[in-house]
Amino acid sequence: MVPRRDLMKGSSNSLLLSLLEQQPMYGYQIVKELEARSQGYFKFKEGTLYPALHRLEKSGLISGKWQKLPNGRQRRYYYITARGLSKLALEKSQWQDFLTAVKLILQPGPSSS
Amino acid sequence: MTPELIQYLESIRDSARLERADETGIMSELEAHIQDKVRELTQSGLTEEEALKTCLGEMGGTRLVARQIYEAYSQGSWKQALLTSIPHLLFGLLFLLNWWHYPGWVSIVLMLILATTIYGWWHGKPNWVFSWLGYTLLPVLAVGLSLLYLPKLWSLLALLVYFPMALWWLFRIIVQTNKRDWIFSSLMLLPLPILTGWFLAVSESGKFTHYSLQIVNYFAPWIGLSFIALALTIAAFIRLRQRWLRVALLATSGLMTVTLIVHYTIGKLNTFTFFGLILVMWGVLLVPALLERYLKGGRRIAWRHRNIIAHKSK
Repeated sequence: MVPRRDLMKGSSNSLLLSLLEQQPMYGYQIVKELEARSQGYFKFKEGTLYPALHRLEKSGLISGKWQKLPNGRQRRYYYITARGLSKLALEKSQWQDFLTAVKLILQPGPSSS
Repeated sequence: MTPELIQYLESIRDSARLERADETGIMSELEAHIQDKVRELTQSGLTEEEALKTCLGEMGGTRLVARQIYEAYSQGSWKQALLTSIPHLLFGLLFLLNWWHYPGWVSIVLMLILATTIYGWWHGKPNWVFSWLGYTLLPVLAVGLSLLYLPKLWSLLALLVYFPMALWWLFRIIVQTNKRDWIFSSLMLLPLPILTGWFLAVSESGKFTHYSLQIVNYFAPWIGLSFIALALTIAAFIRLRQRWLRVALLATSGLMTVTLIVHYTIGKLNTFTFFGLILVMWGVLLVPALLERYLKGGRRIAWRHRNIIAHKSK
């Protein structure tokens, strides 16, 4: 059986880009959003989120900006870039092809027999 | 901030070995995340202590987080790889093109190296500066060697003064470099076993004579190639992300270059010298690592001591 951690590793970039496509978010918000939307399936060591975000930022797929809150605290919000959007579109279509192929094997329809 | 939180963040900061420009931002981000989470957990009914304990557990071990941060930031660009390799390439070319006996060219290369090192050192010590820094030690080495040509008693007296001063200077540079990462001290010292190997191969009884010049002429292409090989190793080092691979690369490249020197200078260097050079090479790798361990140990004891005093005074 493939460990959940390994599945997460292969898809973390797509998941992060997908979340940021909807709205800019800061680290803790991303963790909560990911957990809530996956109904607790995607749970990981939270400190490891930042290296993943910074790798995406170094590749130019997202950009981070510090923003000051009304209470004086600062948060770093991440935005998806144009390059990130096109990368996400490509990854989405790859995932779609992959899922279709897996479904064809795991749930063979009457036409495949 | 509580001592536990400070210790957690300090431990990550220590092991992630980031450039100063990146360090502040990343540590602030981690701190903001922890504070957000602790606040939420305390609002849900946990005590401050329980909330912090739960939060740090969910953040992940400091080693794991630091390793991933290191790997996210360690890889240099191709431009940085080239910049780091340039001093080795310049030295390689001096010998490959047989320009090493023109004082003009040697001076230009040394001046360029010195100027670039000073520029890099005063502009945030980027990763590439450490390979340049290694070559600025050459004039110091040359002064030490020139003392051998003084009359015997004067030579002995001068060396007695020179050695502690040169060692102290080297020690200070290693300590400064280790503040970033001991691996950069090794990177800086990497040409040392190669230079020592070639020097022993071409000099008779440790002295450079007219005959030595003829031998250098003969070996010049091989000397050049050993520096070019070093340049390629350093470029690969900059492009690697994983720390263990970087250390392995430095160790094997040093070993292979020393073996090649002994192989090509057959008859000039014996097995005893070969093992001596291997020792120098391992020293280049191990001394900075051990020194960093020692200095960090000292800092940790001081930090704990400060906390105990602060706790007692409450």
